[in-house]
Amino acid sequence: MHVDPTTLAGAVPRWCEAMHAAAPELNALDGRLGDADLGATLDKCATLMAQAMPELPDTLEGVFKRLAQASSKASGSSFGTLLTVALMTAAKRCAGVPSLDRMAVAGMLEAVIQTLSARGGASLGDKTVLDGLQAIHLALNAASDHDDGGEVARQGMQEALNAFRDKPNRIGRARMFADKTIGMDDPGMVALQRMAEAI
Amino acid sequence: MKKILNDPQDYVDDMLEGLCLAHPELQRRGDGGRVVARRGGPASGKVGIATGGGSGHLPVFLGYVGDGLLDSCAVGNVFAGPRMDDCIEAMRAADGGVGVLQLYGNYGGDRMNFEMAAEMLELEGMATASVRVTDDVASAPADQIAKRRGVAGLVLVYKAAGAKAAGGASLAEVAALAQKANDACRSIGVALTPCIIPESGQASFTIAPDEVEFGMGIHGEPGLWRGPLKTADALAGEMLDHVLPELALARGDRVAVLVNSLGATPAEELYILYRRVAAVLDGQGITVVRPLVGRYATSMEMAGASLSVMRLDAELEALLAAPAQCPFWSVR
Repeated sequence: MHVDPTTLAGAVPRWCEAMHAAAPELNALDGRLGDADLGATLDKCATLMAQAMPELPDTLEGVFKRLAQASSKASGSSFGTLLTVALMTAAKRCAGVPSLDRMAVAGMLEAVIQTLSARGGASLGDKTVLDGLQAIHLALNAASDHDDGGEVARQGMQEALNAFRDKPNRIGRARMFADKTIGMDDPGMVALQRMAEAI
Repeated sequence: MKKILNDPQDYVDDMLEGLCLAHPELQRRGDGGRVVARRGGPASGKVGIATGGGSGHLPVFLGYVGDGLLDSCAVGNVFAGPRMDDCIEAMRAADGGVGVLQLYGNYGGDRMNFEMAAEMLELEGMATASVRVTDDVASAPADQIAKRRGVAGLVLVYKAAGAKAAGGASLAEVAALAQKANDACRSIGVALTPCIIPESGQASFTIAPDEVEFGMGIHGEPGLWRGPLKTADALAGEMLDHVLPELALARGDRVAVLVNSLGATPAEELYILYRRVAAVLDGQGITVVRPLVGRYATSMEMAGASLSVMRLDAELEALLAAPAQCPFWSVR
């Protein structure tokens, strides 16, 4: 696994396209649990990130920062804000770093999980996007350098979805009908899976 | 989707443009025009009150910017929180030099963006305080009251805090009063039909023609139960059963009552609901002061209603009666 400014910038259009495509599915999933705006939020983030493509800087820090700015301009919705905070955390971690290998990506995910937990109030095990990030973090840590990092992430994410499907959501409005969320995928985790598939 | 609009993506900005043309006492601010503030700017020496939240709830949130009420509002997309930059701009627009209270409903996106905004402005030396409204009893149990969401009770808390600030109180005093008003307020809603989010073109949930969702959130979040629609009197009784116990009212107490339409439900049906609410409270020896019946906090075209009750002391009662003026409401 090797992430440098060129490969990162190259993944942005794929990410944007995947978010546009997933928007109706994510709106519908979110509508069963919350306010049905998850797809619309990521759709708006993707539009502004695509617009930022021509002006992306040539450092990892710069690319993440510019994407964070686009995300923050797009939406103040909870998931959009978490995306902004995650990208800002990534930008800070990448200051002066020319490229990331598998372990560096895993370490960055750990930092992102800690920041999102502190800002958003969710904990691991609550059945949120944090559990998906944690699964990818653990899968990358356990993989070997010969493995395809993208495939490792997708598999880790799929295993997290399978592991949490029959658990209740413990945060947000869904906690009031937590038993009804058993058997349902968390919309934020599904969004993360669509992102992992795209990049 | 059958809505009066141009491009669904322009729903919020077109609405804001029209609203500020119709109400020139308000002006848009910020790089995207997503902050609404009083045209005259903040009153120097008065504690500012900034709110914010997603669109789709008019008159909440931005409709309560006005004299004796709020100073500014950060406006998000439909059902989505405001951006951090707009929260910062709203607080600047409310800053009369003696501090700004953030007063908004307790939603994740709103909270994160307002918290980040406060951190940024505190670095610049602005005195800030924050109170999140948590009146929706259906959104978390009583032992997790801080996790509850804010719904129509916001209007009563806005009114009390706005009057306190207009009276020259300090930031700490206004914040304490807002918290007291929130602690004295409980609400619950019932929904009969969903609303459609313009950007997605889809209903936020589905419900059978003969069903009611009891305890539904203001964005269509599932409630406590769903079943056949009951009579207005039965609904009013059950709503009171959920709202009153935590207020621990006694004979002789005084309350403010808001019977609110979620959008499509007509005033006629709100008065049918209020009739029973008033009768039950009267039977318990509780006096209703200044009842509000109408469209105060909506979910666009959702049919349904919410009931908010605030337990009053002399201070809250006086503050609710103080003069106020905004595009959707005036108190004289």
